[in-house]
Amino acid sequence: MATGDNDDVGFKDRHESLMNCPSSQINTNPVSDKVNGMAMSSISMYNKPSNASDSFFGSGWDPIVSLSQSESLVGSSMVSHSEFANSHYPLLMENQGISSTSHFSQYQSDPSFVELVPKLPGFGSGNLSEMVGPFSLPQCGQIANSKCPQNYALNTEVGNERTCTNSTQSRDEHQLSDEGVVGASPNGKRRKRVPESNSPLRSYQNADEEPQKDPSGESSDVPKEQDEKKQKTEQITGVNSRGKQVAKQAKDSSQTGEAPKENYIHVRARRGQATNSHSLAERVRREKISERMRLLQELVPGCNKITGKAVMLDEIINYVQSLQQQVEFLSMKLATVNPELNIDLERVLSKDILHSRGGSAGILGFGPGLNSSHPFPPGIFPGTISGVPSTNPQFPPLPQTVLDNELQSLLQMGFDSNSAMDSLGPNAGRLKSEL
Amino acid sequence: MSPHHPNPSSLKSRFTTRFLRALTKINAQNPISSSSPREILQRFRRIKVAADKSMAYSVRSRRTWSRAMRWKLRSRSWRQASSVRRLKITTSCHQAIMKKTAHERENKTTTGEGVGFGVQTDELRELVPGGEAMDLCNLLDETAHYIKCLTTQVQVMRKIVDFYSP
Repeated sequence: MATGDNDDVGFKDRHESLMNCPSSQINTNPVSDKVNGMAMSSISMYNKPSNASDSFFGSGWDPIVSLSQSESLVGSSMVSHSEFANSHYPLLMENQGISSTSHFSQYQSDPSFVELVPKLPGFGSGNLSEMVGPFSLPQCGQIANSKCPQNYALNTEVGNERTCTNSTQSRDEHQLSDEGVVGASPNGKRRKRVPESNSPLRSYQNADEEPQKDPSGESSDVPKEQDEKKQKTEQITGVNSRGKQVAKQAKDSSQTGEAPKENYIHVRARRGQATNSHSLAERVRREKISERMRLLQELVPGCNKITGKAVMLDEIINYVQSLQQQVEFLSMKLATVNPELNIDLERVLSKDILHSRGGSAGILGFGPGLNSSHPFPPGIFPGTISGVPSTNPQFPPLPQTVLDNELQSLLQMGFDSNSAMDSLGPNAGRLKSEL
Repeated sequence: MSPHHPNPSSLKSRFTTRFLRALTKINAQNPISSSSPREILQRFRRIKVAADKSMAYSVRSRRTWSRAMRWKLRSRSWRQASSVRRLKITTSCHQAIMKKTAHERENKTTTGEGVGFGVQTDELRELVPGGEAMDLCNLLDETAHYIKCLTTQVQVMRKIVDFYSP
């Protein structure tokens, strides 16, 4: 732990930078040096006002490439975080109560922060905050995830001080995390979870042990961060449940210390969860399913606010049914309205279809659960009604009237394929007899 | 906004060309001026089949639902061709497939798919062609693709209709 001690000393001197980069203590493991360098350099980019940090964080940026493989580093980094927080946090909190918030807000607005995001490989869009989160905020979850058993003792101690810094970092991540896990690379699984645990930690622990810093003061800066961080955090789901576990239990780091590995996908057991292969496979499956549900949510219009798989499935079913009914209705309309279609017309028509836009208005106008006939008649009626007086040379007047009447009656009956077919027959017959 | 030259091999263009071709053929068979309601119904059925067929064959990537739809259409056309031998083969094949899929379905439900929406899942399976043989994960995938294709289909058909009924 010699390196860790050195870091501690260095941090003491530069407590300002420490506030913004509590991850500087990440030297408990030799492997974590890379991560430390990454975190430090990343944070140094944010902390422009803190000059002291620059010299300290000269570890270089190259290790960032290895971040995707260094899952263990995150855990180990957490250890050092806890140590650091133990020794320095209370002191720093008192002194830097206000500066930290300003620092946080500063680095949020720092353009380099934003630029940094795409550089991180293996993270997708939600990378940087995930990376920064675990590094900058000692957290129970992170500590639990780490492989260092020595973290165990620190968890409880750190809990108190942790919440302050957690709140700033976690708050924005938490609020940004409306997407949920998008089944990103399993390597990032641990990291994704770590920042998420901040928010529940904050909510649970802030109420319990209010540190010297006022979280509400910090949270005022958080909205600024949120806007900029929105692009980064995307994969934060189900944290609250796990966060609860994390918050309540400061133990079973050994439970999650081992990472049972599957054959194909490297999945890490989360804190407080069973680690046998069956439940892991179950979890992977469930996450795949929730990812697909999210994609479907984007496809189906008007389903952004719906949460819950059951309701979402209902909406999907309704939408598919309505689409199928629309196809049927349109094909019926084509059957009745369609004139001769020679090759030239076909070419013109295809070009028109492919080049023009706005054809999906009817589809988009379809609200979930709405009867499909509702959006349709307004769109169709103008066509059919205008068809009556129009002098379409291709149509002899008699069939046209018949067709229009049929269509109108069809529309009036509401769109139901069965009823439409029924109405078409008798109505047509009735109309013919009348005519 | 709209691309000047849309992707010539996109799903939309493939479907459009196929469907228009099928429409031309159908219209050539049944001149509209002499349509009785019965003939209109017949045409409707044919057009509907043509729409589904064009869609199923326009899907380039081999999707389960497109495969199932193609199979359905082919078996239906075989049935209509009233070839007894072919009919026997298709029904026996179908039975084998259905048994297998039922077995798979049992397996899937027992292996803890148990996320709690069995009824809706079954409904979705009925809606999506070929959905009986898929587990929930793939079913959702297929549903997404199916929705995308259905919306394309509706768009194209509506444009055709608008073109002919100004």
